[in-house]
Amino acid sequence: MFQNTKCECGHQNPIGTVLCESCGKPLDEGLLKDENAQLEMRYDGVARRSQKANPHVVDRIWNFFSSVKIAVYLIVITLIGASLGTIFQQESTLINMTERSEFAAFYKEKYGTVGVIYHALGLSRTYESWWFITLLVMIGTSLVVCSLDRVLPLYRALSKQQIRKHLQFITRQQVVYVGTLKDEPKEWVGRFGQELKRKRYRVWQENGALLAEKNRFSRWGPYINHIGLIIFLLAVLGRSIPSWHMDQYLSLYEGETRQIPGTNYYLKSDKFTVDYYNDSELANNQKGTKVVKLYETQARLYECTDACDDPLAEPVLKEVMQHEIRVNSALTYKGLSIYQNSYQERVRLISVHPTLLDVGTGEAFGTFDLLMDHPDRNQFQVGDYTLKLNDYYPDFSLDEQKRPMTKSRDPNNPAFVFRIFGPGVQSKGEIYIYFPLPNEKSKYYEQVLNESFKIRGDNTGRFAVKVENPIVDGKMNNIEYSEYTTYLNIRVDKAMPYIWVGAAISMIGLIMGFYWQHRRIWLRVDGDKLSLGGHTNKNSFGLRADVAWALGRSGIEVSPKSLDNRRNSR
Amino acid sequence: MKWWLDFSSDAFMVAFYLYCASFITFAIAVGGKRWSNRKPEDHANRWGKIGFGLAVVGWIAHLTFFFTRWYGGGHIPTSNMYEFMTFLGMAIMFAFIIVHLIYRNMLLGAFALPLVVIIVAYASVFPSEVQPLIPALNNVWLKIHVTTAATGEAFFAVGFAAALVQLIRVVDFTRTDKAGRRSQFWTEFSLFVIIVLVGFIVAVFAFRGAGYEASFTQEKVTIADDGTALSEVNKVEYSLPPLVAPYNSETVVFKPFLGMSKPLVEAPSWLNGVNAGRKLNTIIWSVIAGVILYGILRLIARKKLTAAIHPHLSDIDADDLEEISYRAIAIGFPIFTLGALIFAMIWAQIAWSRFWGWDPKEVWALITWLFYSAYLHLRLSRGWQGTRSAWLAVIGFLVVMFTLVGVNLVIAGLHSYAGA
Amino acid sequence: MGRYRKPIQYVILAFVLLIGGFAIGNSLFTKSVVLAKGDKPPSFRLADLNSQVHELKDYEGKPLIINFWGTFCPPCRNEMPALQQQYEKWKGQGLELIGINLSEDRLTVDSFIRQIGVDFPILLDKDKKTEKAYGLKQYPTTFFITPAGKIQEVVIGGLLTEDEIEKRVERLMQS
Repeated sequence: MFQNTKCECGHQNPIGTVLCESCGKPLDEGLLKDENAQLEMRYDGVARRSQKANPHVVDRIWNFFSSVKIAVYLIVITLIGASLGTIFQQESTLINMTERSEFAAFYKEKYGTVGVIYHALGLSRTYESWWFITLLVMIGTSLVVCSLDRVLPLYRALSKQQIRKHLQFITRQQVVYVGTLKDEPKEWVGRFGQELKRKRYRVWQENGALLAEKNRFSRWGPYINHIGLIIFLLAVLGRSIPSWHMDQYLSLYEGETRQIPGTNYYLKSDKFTVDYYNDSELANNQKGTKVVKLYETQARLYECTDACDDPLAEPVLKEVMQHEIRVNSALTYKGLSIYQNSYQERVRLISVHPTLLDVGTGEAFGTFDLLMDHPDRNQFQVGDYTLKLNDYYPDFSLDEQKRPMTKSRDPNNPAFVFRIFGPGVQSKGEIYIYFPLPNEKSKYYEQVLNESFKIRGDNTGRFAVKVENPIVDGKMNNIEYSEYTTYLNIRVDKAMPYIWVGAAISMIGLIMGFYWQHRRIWLRVDGDKLSLGGHTNKNSFGLRADVAWALGRSGIEVSPKSLDNRRNSR
Repeated sequence: MKWWLDFSSDAFMVAFYLYCASFITFAIAVGGKRWSNRKPEDHANRWGKIGFGLAVVGWIAHLTFFFTRWYGGGHIPTSNMYEFMTFLGMAIMFAFIIVHLIYRNMLLGAFALPLVVIIVAYASVFPSEVQPLIPALNNVWLKIHVTTAATGEAFFAVGFAAALVQLIRVVDFTRTDKAGRRSQFWTEFSLFVIIVLVGFIVAVFAFRGAGYEASFTQEKVTIADDGTALSEVNKVEYSLPPLVAPYNSETVVFKPFLGMSKPLVEAPSWLNGVNAGRKLNTIIWSVIAGVILYGILRLIARKKLTAAIHPHLSDIDADDLEEISYRAIAIGFPIFTLGALIFAMIWAQIAWSRFWGWDPKEVWALITWLFYSAYLHLRLSRGWQGTRSAWLAVIGFLVVMFTLVGVNLVIAGLHSYAGA
Repeated sequence: MGRYRKPIQYVILAFVLLIGGFAIGNSLFTKSVVLAKGDKPPSFRLADLNSQVHELKDYEGKPLIINFWGTFCPPCRNEMPALQQQYEKWKGQGLELIGINLSEDRLTVDSFIRQIGVDFPILLDKDKKTEKAYGLKQYPTTFFITPAGKIQEVVIGGLLTEDEIEKRVERLMQS
């Protein structure tokens, strides 16, 4: 197809130009045919960068992404794709599961056949799926290419505008006024320009022609917004760099210190508190129910300074921070953030402070401290007696051969086997099994097993170990326990600053583009004929008001409405 | 505190009645142009001014409600569905006042006000008592995020109202070809959907006023990991006569209604949640009430409702409406982006440790945003103007309402506390 | 500007290909936390019951079996004697066997080991660190690692009889 790209004013335009870059005369054949039709002013009628006569493969790819039509398709497909992911719960919300088979079972159980199909189609991981990521990558590409292809020519067109435009260009704008001028043209145009300046227009004049322009910067709004979005998308992508991102959960019972896996930090929960609203604070339909007011972990963060990776020594810890971790108030230290996730009410013994007693006389020989989990020593001195810890079962039970074993690693029902040495005790010592948990089952075990040691001759029944005065004033005494286990979410997200920068830039672009509008007014006087055309990319109502106001001040009364050159026949 | 809350609900009632009055006045401004002997423009201007005045006074009463409730309740009233919906109504009024001051178009009031009235009435369906804040909501970002997001959505609502007027304005009832009939049908259908929503509100208040109640229990048996069967009994209360009972449920209370003393059917097994049956029942009642209401209106008008409204719109320029609709959306878009996405991300980062987690509510906010960005691109770069962009504005508001209400009713996520 | 149009297009498209490829590639190859055949086992540094420090790299170039076990897990307890038998049989030919205990108390482990009479090294994991690195889901789990340092086989769950262990050890020794 041959297209003459040279305008009658002598300017050579690139292929794809709709309106002459210099004088604004319509070049597109379609536009020339209908003399009354409103002009297409998008990107000021300049050719998009990529429009070429003979596209190459790379050009074709480029053109694909350069099309707004394609961009809209991408947006719509992404929108529909994203909505599919909200039908059922996503895998990413199931923090206890990691394997495909576990997920498959979950969807089958919870949603039935539909769930199986949903999972099989991969919709249970919509937002991590290759097709969704591909869509986002394509949108990102489209953002770059579209913007680049339009912003550069637009910049060129706007930075070297002709003041005197082709008559057709002026009379085919969206806002038009044509009339006869009674005053002296030059003087009138000058006055009109002054009025527009009051409306903060920049005004240029050139023998009877005028160009007034305001808020040109608003044209850059969309592109700034797109730059922000690209930064945002790149930052999101940055989160997949392993060292930039950490997301794990840590459970701590009160008093427990644990290493944060993969870091040099240790975290301790000093105490966990839950507050409930009292009845008077609740709404009528809530009365009698427990509504949580506040829950928090009093946490202490330690940094390991020595023997951190030494399996033989305990790590040397230095406290670096204390914080009450709550929802909405995370502990943050050097890029590491610890969030309150949830909690569980679960009583767990931490330590007891029992007494060694003489069963016969009731005499107390003394007391000692006993940790329930990972006892820190295996010998206890109580008065004149030595208690040697022989065996320890955190969750006591018997195996198939009726031998003692532990059911789990948690001290749900700890049992301690002591060998007691001291004055008046046989030389091999006396074996005593102690169950600190104050419940019937463990006390029964304690009795039966000690009885059997007695029959074997390992125990004379002389000693007893027990916590004295376990309850004082309704509170546990001589027993330390944790009531709540807190679940904390540990995060490192080094991409966050870039995310916020991207979002901020994007927001600035949106505000620039939407709350200001680029307005231009062209005017020329030919003899006594005044022709005025105005263009804005948004809010032509405001432009019409500006023009009518300035015309009115210069002696031509028109209603803003009558300036509207748009047709209803769209 | 109690005094302030009582005062606050009084202010709310005042606002509601003023909105209704304002709507009627705007309707007279538009519909009664040919009644009086005055010139039509004078009539419209005069009544329009009264309508706008009433709307502003109503809005001040609404603001009074908001701030006294804030003071009396101890936290910003945007923490549950009732409070959010009333806030949305207030925000739409704000957006309407702004747009009205720019364009001074009387027609807009005649369509924006009923929308506000419906939303405010819809809010009243939810329990209105002040509930204390749960820990997750106890943060300044509750104020910032919810208010800005709702303001953005309010501008979309005004855009929707203008687009709907535009559509009714441009529908050509003389056309009998396929495309013409299709546009007649869908415009009428849009009105019908709104009437169904009104029907829902009417049904709820009618039965609530009559003190209707029914309740069911549903037993759910789950097998725990260790093989023991755990049975859980859930109770659900109906405020509308149960045409549909929950799946596999026992009737506890059933007040007879029109001779009906037991549910007609039970919900299908795929709607097995205890509340799913109630929701299905509500939808059926809304449609029934909507159809009755629509039928009555049709009988009065004796033609399609759009056809009845259409002649009153003839002296307004469709391009003006289109510009108002577009402008409202253009004002709302940055606010929505800021409130529903950026502020939401900041708060999510503070409260939930991640700025984005593909929670259904988040995804639907993104979908809304994508939808409106498609709208803007189609308009600005592809020249989609006129009816096509009006339809997009209407659909866009449907997406907004689904995000606000639908997600809570149909899909529950982290925002479930905002549910009904 | 016009002169550089083509190079700029190429550079941008190359960037897109690179960054987009990385993003899409990431989504295609989601990593499972469970180790499988052919993977390289994660390194560890743990003490045994005699306070000797063992590292994975100490075993490079030797056929190695790592058995994760705990005294709380009956199948783990039951297969211990069989493992000991096989260890005695093959250690002359260079087989290495280590048992990594699942973060239990030293006293508990010590008394159980003394009772069974195990003489291959028993390492003590701390706070489930190694166990997590190996992505354990069930106990016991046994990894057969070739001299080249690749996992040849993962046996999850117990009930390893001597025959079954032997069959696998033979396969391992051949590799």
